[in-house]
Amino acid sequence: MQSSTPARRGRTYFQVAPLTIALFVFVVIPLIMILTVSFFTFDFVIGAQPSFIFDNFVEVLTDSNTLSLYGATLKFAAIVWALTLFIGFWIAYFLAFHIRNLLIAIGLFLLCTVPFWTSNVIRMISWIPLLGKEGLINQALMGIGIVNEPVEWLLFSEFAVILCYVNLFTLFMIVPIFNSMARIDRSLVEAARDAGAGRLRIMTEVIVPLSKSGIALGSVFVVALTMGDFFVVKIMGGGRSANVVSAMFDDIGILNYPHAGAQAVVLLIVVTLIVTAIMRVVDVRKELAQAR
Amino acid sequence: MTRKDKTPTDSAEPAARKGVNRRTMLKGAAAVAGVAIGSKAITGFPTIWAQEIKDITLTHVGMSYSTIIEIAKQASKDLGFKVEMAVTDHPGFVTRVTTQPESVDVADGEIRQRLQMVPRGVLQGVETKKIKLWDKVTPIYTKGEFAGKPTSRSGVSPFEVMYLDSKEGTKFHDGATEWATMLPGVYNADTLGMRPDLITRPIDSWAELVNPEFKGKTAIQDIPEIGILDAAMALQAAGKVKYNDMGEMTKEEIDATIEALIELKKAGHFRALWNTFDQSVQLMAAGEVVIQSMWSPAVTAVRSQGKACQYVPLKEGYRGWGNGISLMKHLSGKKLDAAYEYLNWYLSGWMGGFIAKQGYYISVPETAKAFMTDDEWGYWYEGKAAQNDITNPTGDKMESAGAKRDGGSYEDRFSKIVVWNTFMKEAVYMNKRWNDFRTA
Amino acid sequence: MAGRTTHKKREWTFYVLAAFFVLFVIFLYGPMFSIYVLSFQGPNAGLTFPMQGFSLHWFAALFGQARTGDIGGAFGRSIPLAIIVLSLTVVISVSAGLAFRRRFFGATPLFYVAVASLIVPGLVLSIGIGQGFTVLGLRTAWWSSALGAHLSWTLPFGLLIMFAVLARFNPALEEAARDQGATNVQVLRYVVIPILFPGIIAVALFGFTLSYDEFPRSWVTAGTKNTLPLEIWTMVTNITSPALYALATVTTAISFIIIAVSLGAIAMIQRRRSGQPKRKTAGG
Repeated sequence: MQSSTPARRGRTYFQVAPLTIALFVFVVIPLIMILTVSFFTFDFVIGAQPSFIFDNFVEVLTDSNTLSLYGATLKFAAIVWALTLFIGFWIAYFLAFHIRNLLIAIGLFLLCTVPFWTSNVIRMISWIPLLGKEGLINQALMGIGIVNEPVEWLLFSEFAVILCYVNLFTLFMIVPIFNSMARIDRSLVEAARDAGAGRLRIMTEVIVPLSKSGIALGSVFVVALTMGDFFVVKIMGGGRSANVVSAMFDDIGILNYPHAGAQAVVLLIVVTLIVTAIMRVVDVRKELAQAR
Repeated sequence: MTRKDKTPTDSAEPAARKGVNRRTMLKGAAAVAGVAIGSKAITGFPTIWAQEIKDITLTHVGMSYSTIIEIAKQASKDLGFKVEMAVTDHPGFVTRVTTQPESVDVADGEIRQRLQMVPRGVLQGVETKKIKLWDKVTPIYTKGEFAGKPTSRSGVSPFEVMYLDSKEGTKFHDGATEWATMLPGVYNADTLGMRPDLITRPIDSWAELVNPEFKGKTAIQDIPEIGILDAAMALQAAGKVKYNDMGEMTKEEIDATIEALIELKKAGHFRALWNTFDQSVQLMAAGEVVIQSMWSPAVTAVRSQGKACQYVPLKEGYRGWGNGISLMKHLSGKKLDAAYEYLNWYLSGWMGGFIAKQGYYISVPETAKAFMTDDEWGYWYEGKAAQNDITNPTGDKMESAGAKRDGGSYEDRFSKIVVWNTFMKEAVYMNKRWNDFRTA
Repeated sequence: MAGRTTHKKREWTFYVLAAFFVLFVIFLYGPMFSIYVLSFQGPNAGLTFPMQGFSLHWFAALFGQARTGDIGGAFGRSIPLAIIVLSLTVVISVSAGLAFRRRFFGATPLFYVAVASLIVPGLVLSIGIGQGFTVLGLRTAWWSSALGAHLSWTLPFGLLIMFAVLARFNPALEEAARDQGATNVQVLRYVVIPILFPGIIAVALFGFTLSYDEFPRSWVTAGTKNTLPLEIWTMVTNITSPALYALATVTTAISFIIIAVSLGAIAMIQRRRSGQPKRKTAGG
């Protein structure tokens, strides 16, 4: 343990104060409000009424719908996590270990970021000319003669939802993994190679262990993003799939804040448990402290 | 050429002049008064002192189909104070109006959203005495009748949420009072859209939406409250589900509807449930779907891409919807006066002429007439064949000469409304079941 | 990527991964290609293939604010907002990231609040923040409530990326500099920032992009004037116009020009400073 002088401690609190204030005002207070409202009663005519009942939670937890919504949401999260981890790891590895010029690496990152500067809404719409029944891919497939009938499941399907998630979220896996890898001392890799370690051993015994905090953080991002989404599932799913947040959106439409609030609290707990599990496997904050 | 070439934005002056010219043609003194109010050239807005109101800004919050920036520009020009448009979506609208009422001055929402706003006490009544053209407002809203016959009361009909007990009232009053919940605004009659080039036989019933013949080539909208009405119209027409009152379904009726929908979905009947206007246009234009629930400007959008698309009149009738503009409770003094000026301006004709070109009707059609050419009036309101090309509000061509509006005249359409967009008492249950349909 | 100057022969893995990277970029841009092409259609065009004519009509439509909504105005709010969010995110996350290397009172709750902020559904949070402003008698606006809502979104990303960046970053370097009499500012300027530079770039990019493209948290916090994603969303609920595609094409083109110019400028500055190695690997 580092000896913490008062000056050092003071500096720490000073450094963390802006974050604390911002999160307190814009997260903690609204969260307290959400939690409070989730105990209210709801009547369609007069709306949410102050109360202290557990009905909303009981309803959320006992509803058969909830199970299928969480089933759908978790399934998406698991598949998207696996895919983005695979793609993200190799892209990050390429950028960190094969691109030797920092400027080029930044340039390539920007290349990957530019599509995100076009609004999500537009980008989702633009999948249709590509994946629709009369879209480019179907025309190409039929042109080559692979299929005779246009493939329908390309759009408005779970496939489309997953494709769109991977498209949108892989970057969130790449960035933390890249940053972890960038901190790996190249001499370690050299040393391992000089000691006769093969590619596989270098990968499993040097690179993966040393980039695990990036992997863990990327996983947190992707899981949180997938489980918190409603837009992709609504637009790309063509109403054929739903997830927890898209159901919440309908609650909000009829101003049923108590139910939406309870739903949000349950989701928060579930995802926090997943994050805690990830942190159990890789304690990111301990990695920070290890620096010393 | 009788058609105006200018875009509506800069056409206020010619239109006003035209209004004067046309005065002789209009029947009835009241209509003349209406036109006169509509023409800046004659009476001029505003009636309160320009000096005191020039710093006022009115925030008009609503959805994109009626909350259009050109309207605010024209109003600001005519009125001498600033009108600002804040555009949002349906849930965003009710959320803002009910949780941030101070940030809204006039709330332009759907008729049915009155059910959410009025009991929460965020509105104040519109004093009908202060609305100069109140007597001219379509009786669909003010009396619950149309062309001398009572309109349907299924769903949230305009009349039943039209009046309040008192200015600050939070309960609806059955029958007219001098406090209205809203200034009647735009409205329309919705039906199914279809591709007449891909379905060659005549379509005349909602039942076709669930006809197995169109398996995989149909779509319905994914807004639960509206989607279920479209589904119910179809299922009832097909004899699959019977409703006592479609606009106020019982749990059993909701269950029966959802079960039927799930069965259809499992059979691959629906290509998609669409969530945005844009998707409905794309699905139709690409031919992925040949018959679906649709909004009228979407049909126009498909046609403007050179694809045949018809907003087909069906024998069971239409699903009606409409908007109204409410005053927020916090308005008082000069700002309230300005808001009344704005409401009066809204009915004075320019807005009606503008919105007609989007396919919607305005609550005082006769003033709108002065802001439309005879040809446009004939096309949009009377169901006549267009003599010249018909343009949209921005002046782009929408229809060629000879085209006729689907569903015929204003009268034809509105005498056949069978159900209004609604929130049912079982809304919570219905949402839950709709999710079952989605995840099935 | 270290400042190794010797050019070793590329291994086969380089070519495999480079090909993989190219495929990934094609996938990322996949739907964008149809956007670019379709934005050059004629006036009577839709959003799907086949192309209907060829013109610059929709680019003109973008700047003449017609029924396409107030794209220009929304853009003029979203860009400054994103830049403010970027700056605050970088400062707050780097600072907090440095602090988290030590144990301090409340570190664990703060960490989990940040995680919660990442998870809590944006729509619900948006309502909560909007309601909070109402209770305090404040008006929601893009530069106040929406700014806060965006920070609630970007800060957890910024903080967690800093965790990845700072893992095994040796505080001994800072302490050594301090022991030699460097002031806090000097330590930051000459020791911390140069080493953390790539990470800071990543945080900045995330801050900008996440804010610029954020819909749910802006939903009812942006006030009367919409930010760009809100404006686009309300547009697609009523009209369908290739002007949206034109917007995407213009955005991409401008982005590439800005990137090319700034990277070119940096490269030139670096060359002028050549002789002194700019970067070195900071090992643990």
